[in-house]
Amino acid sequence: MTVLSADGLFLRRGGANLLAGISLSLGPNGSVAVVGPNGAGKSMLLKVLAGLLPPTTGQVRIGDQDLLRLSGADRARQIGYLPQYFEPHWDLTIADLVRLGAERAGSVTKTALEEIMARFELATLQGRRWSTLSGGERARVLLAMVLAVDPPALLADEPAASLDIRHRIDVVRSLVRRGTDRLCVVVMHDLDLAFRFFERIVVMDRGYIVAAGHAQDIFDDVCLDAAFGVKFERLKAGRYSLLRPACL
Amino acid sequence: MKVWLALALILVGALALAVCAGHEWATPFDLVRAVAGDADIRSRLLVEWRMPRVLAAAFVGLLLGLGGAVFQGVFRNPLAEPYLLGSAGGAALGATIALLVPVGVPQSLLLPLLAFAGAWGATVFVIAVSRVAGAVDAAGMLLAGVAVAAMLGALRSFLMLALSDDTISLQVVLSWVLGGVQTPTWAVLGLLAIISGACFGLTMRLAGGLDVLGLGESMATGFGLEVKRFVAWAVLAGSVVVAAAVAFGGLVAFVGLAAPHIARWFVGPMHRPLLPASALVGACIVTIADAIARAALPPAEIPLGLITAVAGGPFFILLLAHRLRT
Repeated sequence: MTVLSADGLFLRRGGANLLAGISLSLGPNGSVAVVGPNGAGKSMLLKVLAGLLPPTTGQVRIGDQDLLRLSGADRARQIGYLPQYFEPHWDLTIADLVRLGAERAGSVTKTALEEIMARFELATLQGRRWSTLSGGERARVLLAMVLAVDPPALLADEPAASLDIRHRIDVVRSLVRRGTDRLCVVVMHDLDLAFRFFERIVVMDRGYIVAAGHAQDIFDDVCLDAAFGVKFERLKAGRYSLLRPACL
Repeated sequence: MKVWLALALILVGALALAVCAGHEWATPFDLVRAVAGDADIRSRLLVEWRMPRVLAAAFVGLLLGLGGAVFQGVFRNPLAEPYLLGSAGGAALGATIALLVPVGVPQSLLLPLLAFAGAWGATVFVIAVSRVAGAVDAAGMLLAGVAVAAMLGALRSFLMLALSDDTISLQVVLSWVLGGVQTPTWAVLGLLAIISGACFGLTMRLAGGLDVLGLGESMATGFGLEVKRFVAWAVLAGSVVVAAAVAFGGLVAFVGLAAPHIARWFVGPMHRPLLPASALVGACIVTIADAIARAALPPAEIPLGLITAVAGGPFFILLLAHRLRT
């Protein structure tokens, strides 16, 4: 069964096709990494799939419903969107931030909020303000805000890009774990983490999907080299696979 | 709870002080006697003249505090001012027409009506301009507001030069533009109270959306907020609130800027507590400022807007310096 599907998506801006006829079908569970060079259209695809940007032509469906016909509140209950960059304009407490995330599914009792805080191991942070948190703590809070309503689909745009390697792995692991019973689509720049952790890989280049499939299959596909404009050496050691640019 | 009690007590204290203050100061004992129904002329003046004016000032401050909190929330900028979007310019233009063009309608009715219409019309115009320019977001509306405010200011100056003559003094227009609360009848005060209550209810409905909007447009959209529609509605609602304040109090600067800031020190940045707290702080500021306007240089009265500008200007500079440092 499909949770999220796109059919013939075009997104044009200033005469350029940022998305050039994307069609895909995802879900109901699984972890999917979207990779590609800068300007490939990964973030735009995620925004269109999340309903943040309407496509110029084409359609996104969540279940059997047209995404653009859903109310904002209904869409927010079904799709969680984790932006690439998040900085609240007001220095809110962690409890307030998580409450705002949870309230998109309706009002939240104090007990329910405490349960969410406990589930994301944020109980000790709830009185702290956003500006006082470390990068790793911020990533956890952001995840809690977006996942507080447990949406069937989570779309994350490089959520761990600014974190150190340990916190990056923590975030990627928690996203992939979510893919066991939900759909989790993540834009990734770190190819090693993408191929190491995610079940499926979507490769984008200049607004097109140039390859999509299981991680092991895509790993050996030369379209990866063409998309990034780099000749990769494929290094395999047991269950670990590494892509290394041949020029190094 | 303690915070709300403190704010309420400060407001009650400010109201009592303001009723006592004036050309001739009254004692708290005089005040109690007047409220108890004493028939002495001084007591009657306190009840019939000073109390309605003090309450009107408090309501004007309440509206400015609410409007300021809404505009700072919509533009996600603590330096945003309710008058940025041309609503004050529109109100001033409406009031100038009411004061300078004889149309056979009592000025006490015409002035608030035209000020209100001007403020609302200017805001709708700003939204239309930003829509035509394809920038119906906070930044687009802010820029359109600055442009519209400049045009309205020029138009008002032209009307003042073209329509004033020996019988219609420019001083009347200027004194209104400089801000000031007139003593209302109890009926007008009742109307102001109803308008203030309606504005409070209207802005409280925006509180949840303003909180979500504060997370940034991407996040807010992801959380289900129809950002463009919400921003347009919130700007319109904020302008209605400011228009009501301008219609009853003229152009009173900086209260809409300062009140939300001071309120944030008490209750934090979430809008459900911030809006009522900002309203209370705004009421306190204008009540005190109006008392100073009446009592500082008797028998003359200093325009209210001058007092708030003199106090608010340095406050704004301090805020700006603090913001640039941090």
